[in-house]
Amino acid sequence: MRSLRIAHRVILAVPVALGVAVLAFFSLHLLPGDPVQIMLGDTDASAATIRAVQHELHLDRPLHVQLALFFAQLARGDLGTSIVQRRPVAALIGDALPATIELTAAALVIAIVIAVPMGLAGALRPRSWFDRAVLSTSLLGASMPAFWFGLLLILFVAVDARLLPTSGQIDPTIAVPRVTGFVLIDGVLARNAAAVGSALRHLVLPALTLGVVVAAVLARTVRASMIEVLQRRYVTTARAKGLPETAVVVKHALRNALIPALTVIGLQIGELLGGNMIVETVFAWPGLGRLVVNSIFARDYLVVQAAVMLYAVTYVAANLAVDVAYTMLDPQVEAT
Amino acid sequence: MKKRTDVVLAAVLIAASLLLGTRTDGARALSFVLDTTANRATEAQAITAQLGRAGITAQVRVWQLSALIAQVQAGQRTAYTTDWGSAYFDPYDLAVPKFVTKARGNFSFYSNPIVDRDMAVASSTPNDAQRKAAYADAQRRIYQDAPWAFGYVLRNIEAQASTVSGWVPAADNSETMYPAGVRGGDTVVVGLRNDSIAPLDPGIPPTDREAVLRNIYDALVGHTPDGKVVPQLATSWRKVGPAVYDFTLRSGVRFQNGDPLTADDVVFTFERVLTPGGISGVSSTRKDLLGPILRVQKLDPSHVRFVYSASFPEALVLQSLVHFQIVPQKYVQQAGEQGFIAKPVGAGPFRYVRGALNSEVVLERYDGYWAGPAKLRQVVFRMMPDPSSRIAALLSGEVQVIQEVPPDLVDRLRASPNVEVKTAEGTRSYEIEFNTKAAPFDDPRVRQAVNYAINWDPILRDIYHGYATRLSTAFLPNGFGYDPTLKPYPYDPAKARALLQDAGY
Amino acid sequence: MMPAGAQSVRAGPAPFLYPVRRHGVRALGSLRRVAARLAAEPVGAAAAAAVLAYVAGAVLAPVLAPDNPSATDLGARLAAPSAAHWFGTDLLGRDIFSRTLYGARVSLLVGALTVGLSALIGTALGMAGAYYRGAVDLVGARAVELLQAFPYLIFAVAMMAFLGPGFWNLIWALALKGWIEFYRLARGETLTQSHREYVEAARAMGYPSSWILVSEILPNILNTVTVVALLRLGYFMVLEASLSFLGVGIPPSIPAWGSMINDGRNVLFVAWWVSTIPGLALLVLVLAVNLLGDRVREILDPHASRR
Repeated sequence: MRSLRIAHRVILAVPVALGVAVLAFFSLHLLPGDPVQIMLGDTDASAATIRAVQHELHLDRPLHVQLALFFAQLARGDLGTSIVQRRPVAALIGDALPATIELTAAALVIAIVIAVPMGLAGALRPRSWFDRAVLSTSLLGASMPAFWFGLLLILFVAVDARLLPTSGQIDPTIAVPRVTGFVLIDGVLARNAAAVGSALRHLVLPALTLGVVVAAVLARTVRASMIEVLQRRYVTTARAKGLPETAVVVKHALRNALIPALTVIGLQIGELLGGNMIVETVFAWPGLGRLVVNSIFARDYLVVQAAVMLYAVTYVAANLAVDVAYTMLDPQVEAT
Repeated sequence: MKKRTDVVLAAVLIAASLLLGTRTDGARALSFVLDTTANRATEAQAITAQLGRAGITAQVRVWQLSALIAQVQAGQRTAYTTDWGSAYFDPYDLAVPKFVTKARGNFSFYSNPIVDRDMAVASSTPNDAQRKAAYADAQRRIYQDAPWAFGYVLRNIEAQASTVSGWVPAADNSETMYPAGVRGGDTVVVGLRNDSIAPLDPGIPPTDREAVLRNIYDALVGHTPDGKVVPQLATSWRKVGPAVYDFTLRSGVRFQNGDPLTADDVVFTFERVLTPGGISGVSSTRKDLLGPILRVQKLDPSHVRFVYSASFPEALVLQSLVHFQIVPQKYVQQAGEQGFIAKPVGAGPFRYVRGALNSEVVLERYDGYWAGPAKLRQVVFRMMPDPSSRIAALLSGEVQVIQEVPPDLVDRLRASPNVEVKTAEGTRSYEIEFNTKAAPFDDPRVRQAVNYAINWDPILRDIYHGYATRLSTAFLPNGFGYDPTLKPYPYDPAKARALLQDAGY
Repeated sequence: MMPAGAQSVRAGPAPFLYPVRRHGVRALGSLRRVAARLAAEPVGAAAAAAVLAYVAGAVLAPVLAPDNPSATDLGARLAAPSAAHWFGTDLLGRDIFSRTLYGARVSLLVGALTVGLSALIGTALGMAGAYYRGAVDLVGARAVELLQAFPYLIFAVAMMAFLGPGFWNLIWALALKGWIEFYRLARGETLTQSHREYVEAARAMGYPSSWILVSEILPNILNTVTVVALLRLGYFMVLEASLSFLGVGIPPSIPAWGSMINDGRNVLFVAWWVSTIPGLALLVLVLAVNLLGDRVREILDPHASRR
């Protein structure tokens, strides 16, 4: 029953991804601006040359033909070639994705480290001044405009105090052989302490900028569900049996209270992957978000289509993963 | 629930006050939208404030560049800020594409048959005095027709750590690192203003990547930072006829992969660009930069001949060849386009080591460079689109050279003892263009009026801190044929009002 | 009973800020009760007062602002905060205090209009989908799935490039995706409500379905919609500022906090106030709105207030 539902959801992801690609295709092609003209900038070129290039790139075909060409390519497992960068779209995304995943993972780690203790502490003494403080602080985090917070961090931490670098992913003079594409992991694999240190230092500010908002959402969820769980019958029973409070909280309550937190984390992964283009722009982070923004501005259609499809699949997958994890952690869900 | 009605009520109130606040009286005053992009929004707002004082209502709208240009080309905008750069130090690639009828850069739909004829003469006559005269005539006519509110040229403001020697900013933003050295080290990191650069294949369209490209590749001839042509891979050239030029190649030059550079490589480089579909099935959009070229042919292993379909002045031939870096035929054919982009090979002073176009490109000294190895062992170009980050990185020693310092930050940099600010005359005209085919700017009097109504002096002084020079048209002071006797439109609001009244406003 | 959030998981993702309970809010709470409860607790009162202060500042900006927000004075560019200019001046010598006051209009207006439009479209479509089922529901559900999987910012950036800069264009760009949440909410609520006795009774008495939807079901889900609208308000304000920051938001002739922050980005080094102050104004407003939304939710939802 459960596996049937999962299979159903997996199959459902395909039309969603394709539909999103179609949506991206039309919304991009409706935008004013032609990639060849944009690419040329102020280089002089004759109308004939421009027409020839547009023809070679199929940009002069009717929209439905271009769409059909895209799907034909897709059916062969080919995402096409970037108009601007002249490289296969798959390779471009493959290069940018690890940076984005690294940033997202770091942001989640920061969020969890901040949020879970905060939420638990608040839940153990509901309505206390500390609990109030937790709630207010988390609202502050949720209200933070990320781009502005990032700028402030750059100004005070990087520019004024010069504690951390302003932008980029690693000191460019450090060479790390590319194995996995994840700078941190590659640094560890190469046993290059300088590379790992530099990568970590570059990671702090953008990850903090992203992580604060997630932490805010997460802290509230952890607190709320912990309060609810602590009132459940089995917790009360455990308490009545005279188990020490720590054991009650850790053994019985925590596991169940973390389920909704897991939901939030899963859903935030989707949000983060799609939403960190501003943070990537502020910190010149060489990730997917910046690639997409630049590709929209350059009308590099195929890159945007592929990236949006990837976002859609991630989104569906994150939802699905949350659902599966849910049923595994909490058998009651299946029963209801 | 009244909370909601409160919100609605407040919204209505705010909306009403907002609308009332922006309403103007309905008299026939000149009123238009000034479209701009983020980088010039400040200036555009200063201009509209001035126009307001002259009784002209102008509203600023900020667009994303590609959307704006597309709208402009479709004739859907009336007035917009824009800019166009010159790589030739000659009006041939600035005034010509901007003012000749139906040329690619002619966004203002300007058309004056006499200007067209002048430009045609200047682009073909071998005689410099005649070219100059033709350009001079064109300048006066363009000035009079005023298809734009003529603007200014900005100086390139760049900066370096004081430990760096031998580096100067170039007029065209190319960073020539060959003569540079650095005290106490052998690596220089350059903070570029780009968010990302185009692939490092010289045959495909440039989007502002000359800074990196010219360190990897050499062309037949090169530029000094101030635009003078100097021999590079060609040692000499000879005009054989009005449309035929022969070049002698430098002997003993080897590409960074060890292959010797011969006439075959030169011919291949240009054939790649000239053949339709020449680069992996896609035509190069750069071929029109070569002028009326017919073919490039090998005379012998060290001589090549350029044949044009019509007379083409020597100055333009040389200026155009600066932009065609020679690529190694055998390597490009073996590696294929993808392989070539992944690992470019040229005959320049630095060889490509690694990089990503949206974060950094690392180059290392090529010891076999024909002019002797560079002083620096390693040059790193880092993409740093945010100016504050560039400056912070320079001050903290993360980078040693940075491009494009915003004028507002120059003083801050000058206050630091460890860095030096350096400037070079720019090659880009910044202006406001009018759609000359649509009301209200189809009337030259209205266009002239706007030229008189803008007071550029305080804008250039305060916003650009004096790092800008007014232009009388779109001819640059460091370009060929510039007429210094033609003075820019003065600020004369009375004259502007008179012209407007004349035109019925 | 399932933990908070579980409900939304089954149906899809939770709202951005925190899961909102779908049940428990039944009767339309009276404003008096909400206001009284708000006034009774310091945080709620402070948040409400702050929001009111912003609204007052926005409405009375022409009276309160010491300067014309668009009056440029190139000689006084980038002046630090002082007695003459409390918040300093920007790149064109404009008074940042005055511009911040006027900027509140954009934030409040864009936030309110976007939420209003989203709620209107989403609730109408969601209720219709849930009540009539069939093709309407199917089309709605598919559209929602697609839009939901489409990253918001990419969507908005593309929409703005397509529509061009403009106040209403921005609102449409935001609302065209913003309605989804309300659609899902209204659909779920309507499904629940339509099986309640009072709806069955109305149906049995032969009332037309449109009347049942508007007069019977709508009042019962309005509270939930209102709470979600309040909670989304801050989010849209931040999103508006983000788009203005990316340069595809409000035209610069209208002072807006996002573009003010963007203006100051290049001079962060020499004039911190240009970016910092409008950002702070935005942060405080969004915080107040979120606090208010949070309190109102607790007041209207007896289950939530126990927690």
